[in-house]
Amino acid sequence: MTETLFIGLSLSSILLLIALGLSITYGAMGVINMAHGELVMIGAYTAVLSGIYLNLNFFLALPLAFAVSALVGMALERLVIRRLYGRIIDTLLATWGVAIVLQQLIRLEFGLSFFGIHVEGLGPGLQSMDVPSFLTQPFEIGGVPIQPYRSFIIVVTLLLTLLTWFLMYRTSMGTQVRAIMRNPQIAAACGIDVRRVSAFTFAYGSGLAGVAGVLLAGFKTVMPDMGASTVVDGFLVVVVGGVGSLLGTVLASGLLGQINGVFAILFNDILARAVVFGVVIAIILWRPRGLFSFRSR
Amino acid sequence: MLSLANVDSFYGRSQALHAMTISAPRGAVLGILGRNGVGKTTLLRTILGLTDRSEGVIALGGTPIEAFPTHERARAGIAYVPQGRMIIPDFTIRENILMGGFAATGARRIPDIVPELFPYLMDNLDRPGGVLSGGQQQQLAIARALACKPKVLLMDEPTEGIQPNIVAQIEDIIIRLNTELGLTILLVEQNVAFVRRAAKAFAMIEHGTAVESGPIDTLTDAMVHKHMAI
Repeated sequence: MTETLFIGLSLSSILLLIALGLSITYGAMGVINMAHGELVMIGAYTAVLSGIYLNLNFFLALPLAFAVSALVGMALERLVIRRLYGRIIDTLLATWGVAIVLQQLIRLEFGLSFFGIHVEGLGPGLQSMDVPSFLTQPFEIGGVPIQPYRSFIIVVTLLLTLLTWFLMYRTSMGTQVRAIMRNPQIAAACGIDVRRVSAFTFAYGSGLAGVAGVLLAGFKTVMPDMGASTVVDGFLVVVVGGVGSLLGTVLASGLLGQINGVFAILFNDILARAVVFGVVIAIILWRPRGLFSFRSR
Repeated sequence: MLSLANVDSFYGRSQALHAMTISAPRGAVLGILGRNGVGKTTLLRTILGLTDRSEGVIALGGTPIEAFPTHERARAGIAYVPQGRMIIPDFTIRENILMGGFAATGARRIPDIVPELFPYLMDNLDRPGGVLSGGQQQQLAIARALACKPKVLLMDEPTEGIQPNIVAQIEDIIIRLNTELGLTILLVEQNVAFVRRAAKAFAMIEHGTAVESGPIDTLTDAMVHKHMAI
């Protein structure tokens, strides 16, 4: 059971990285970015291709994937989303279109080649980049087998969550982001450059998605539509946690990731998905604005 | 100090202001009067660039600002105390006040006048703004605006929805901001008695345009009855 919970925790971690980006971009900009999953995919491709063709160290691939996804996200914000602020349905459709374009561009370039980060016992082991050996040798703690790559995912997520918390709650930029999340017009009336801050926010959220893509590539084939399903899971976390709430996002990703992991291992993936959706519906009925929403007198 | 000349303003295709022309002299309180829905709030939002589109000239200290985005108008010296306060409920009182500092040059800090005007806020800086009463939230909204280091203060019905014993305090504070700090204030109000006490001039708004204006002592009961009676 401990091993099952550990697997659930690693799945929750990736879900958290995806949802953090969605939460802050949706919260700050009111944008439902349907191309968020493609930013995950771009991060994964950046890592495996830089590993295969440039022999780039896996650990260097993480910041590189962050940077590439952040740049693509920044371009997406500048070229598409900035022109559609306040038009939520238009933004949804436009970013969905961008998602399809990005998928097809990758498909055109790489055809049916599948890539992955090969971790013994986890990934599909296709055209793969290598990871350091200490991330591939399972070990035991108290008789419980621990997969080091999953531990690595949890550590990276923990560090990035702490970094996000620091940026959001201990920096001037974070204060501006949170102010925009609550009331963009009042934020602008207080001298905050909403467009500039939103562009930064979008790039940061996209970068987190890129890192999630790298981590995900350890046990999921890297292919053009690998991110499409993750965006749905990410939005479930955002809705359950409460838009713009860091704590809510952390707890909701933990809850949904564990439910998914435990039910998938004890029963099967299909039942796990059904249970996750059932829990989400129940929580929305109970708290329509999510577990952690903002209230005032 | 702040003037509008032939300003039209729009929400989508709906025109809310029609050739609005008003002027607030430096250091004066300009009372903006009119029934609900005639465009008083839209006037303030237009000055800040918060409507969808506007045409005409808006000048601050002689400099046209109508092409500026909202944050640059705030940095140019226009601060806003909106209707309904709109403080950030989960921000602490300190964070709410310092939000205004993004419009000011230099380090963000709580203005020296705030502890004197609002001692309760200073004693509770780390409490969330959302737990404050309506009157205290209004004080917080004013403190936030002061942190912008404004030249002009736009106040939208600052006494609306506040218990009567607090209203007098808010009114006195607004008068002090004008007389002691020399702030130019555009005061949207339904309370004519307060406007008569605080303002040097008035503009009566109807159908999105100023139909009467002048020194406050020219505001007659007949005008009030004609343009504000329900």
